[in-house]
Amino acid sequence: MTTSDWVGLIMTVVTFLLMIGVYFYALRPKNRDKLEKNRFIPMDDDAIDSGEKNGG
Amino acid sequence: MDAAAEQKYNFAVVRWFTVMAVVYLVVGALVGVYIAAELAWPFLNFDLPYITFGRLRPLHTNAVIFAFGGCALMATSFYSVQRTCGVRLWSDKLAWFAFWGWNLIIVSAVITLPLGITTAKEYAELEWPIDLAIAVVWLVYSFNFIMTLATRKTSHIYVSNWFFLGMMVMITYLHVVNSLAVPVDLFKSYSAFSGVQDAMIQWWYGHNAVGFYLTAGFLGIMYYFVPKQAGRPVYSYRLSVVHFWALMFGYVWLGSHHLQYTALPDWAGSLGAAVSLAMIIPSWGGAVNGMMTLSGAWDKLRTDYILRFMIMSLAFYAMSTFEGPVMSLKTVNALSHYTDWTVGHVHSGALGWVAMVAIGAIYHLMMRTFHTEMWSMKLINAHFWTATIGAVIYIVAMWVSGIMQGLMWRAYDEYGTLAYTFAESVEAMHPYYAMRTVGGAIFLLGALMMLINVLMTVAKASSEGSLQQARTAAATA
Repeated sequence: MTTSDWVGLIMTVVTFLLMIGVYFYALRPKNRDKLEKNRFIPMDDDAIDSGEKNGG
Repeated sequence: MDAAAEQKYNFAVVRWFTVMAVVYLVVGALVGVYIAAELAWPFLNFDLPYITFGRLRPLHTNAVIFAFGGCALMATSFYSVQRTCGVRLWSDKLAWFAFWGWNLIIVSAVITLPLGITTAKEYAELEWPIDLAIAVVWLVYSFNFIMTLATRKTSHIYVSNWFFLGMMVMITYLHVVNSLAVPVDLFKSYSAFSGVQDAMIQWWYGHNAVGFYLTAGFLGIMYYFVPKQAGRPVYSYRLSVVHFWALMFGYVWLGSHHLQYTALPDWAGSLGAAVSLAMIIPSWGGAVNGMMTLSGAWDKLRTDYILRFMIMSLAFYAMSTFEGPVMSLKTVNALSHYTDWTVGHVHSGALGWVAMVAIGAIYHLMMRTFHTEMWSMKLINAHFWTATIGAVIYIVAMWVSGIMQGLMWRAYDEYGTLAYTFAESVEAMHPYYAMRTVGGAIFLLGALMMLINVLMTVAKASSEGSLQQARTAAATA
């Protein structure tokens, strides 16, 4: 294997592992409420504009 | 609420991008119908080189992908990033630079492509000076979007912005690498790559243009506008996160499936096909996520014609993201490649998914940014049915035509001689080419209805003074 092959292989495996890590983070039951509350961001934007709701 | 938003955000540039997107949809579809008619009735070339299929086809693809698609993406991304971040665009000047720059690029495509000035690279036909301009305008657009995110008032970056951001990063990379060329004069350059490497770079770009521009970008539209139009939050935010990262990781591998049975190493095509199959899972996950947003409120589809466009687009998205991986398999590819089945597949994605989700978002934007109802809701319903029926007729014609083509090309008799000449296969295609023209014309009719509706809504907003009222009320608020 050439250096280029090794670099490509390592980058691919690392990226793949990162993706698995993201899946684990996203699907972990403990993180459910933290992530799911973001569903409402588009629903809240009118309220934020009219000052009824805080955007933070 | 409308007045507050009108003053707080830059909706003017969104309005211009929105209206121009509709104009380009009509132009792109019109050129598409004409070249479809040329294939059925070749006399329509009129022996004029400027209007032959070879010159007008790239004009059609550039008009629908970059003119219509680009304006729709810029309108929706500029609108939703402001709304979800609670801040105005970082720079109004850069936003207008992106608008005028993008439109000048489109004008230059309209001039150069019929003149035969082309790199001959599919979906990247424009010559090197225009490629440079695309890079500059795209980077300005992306920089403005990123800086708006950086100055946001909210703590979280909503998922639609992630999809838009993924598109911007990858399209920059793809466009720059694929456009690397050696100019020989102002209107001619040669690719920096050659042979099979050139083909691989071309399809790495080509499929990722589909993956990151026509899929990721329009998924950004879906994740903001479907919940907004439905008045319900997206079904699962966690699923949207998984959808995003799976798409970012997976799509870059697929380009090689365009080069099965070529000089490309066999393993590369197999790898592309294997990852293509794996991509069905996140794609369907995303489609289900969008559709299930309506869970418990399906009755809205009876009355909300704009929502119909969006949900129908997700059905087409699911269908074409299943069909594509199947076509990438070597056994299926042996039949489908170089036939009209590919054309049918592309239009299933383009007319069914990309155009319909964008059309839904554009109708939504028209009402939100002009602060009035659409001129005619009935016309939107008529548009929905013409778009759906036109797309289905087009796709079915190409399926039948493509599979018949593939079967005729590989049929042979007991002596091993080909059973049909190429000319016989062309003759057999004629009814389906005529049928495709009819399907495209019906879709074009719908686009014309949309243009009339949009222009009348602009006039209505002007005569009612709704836009002026929103501006004035905001200024005095």
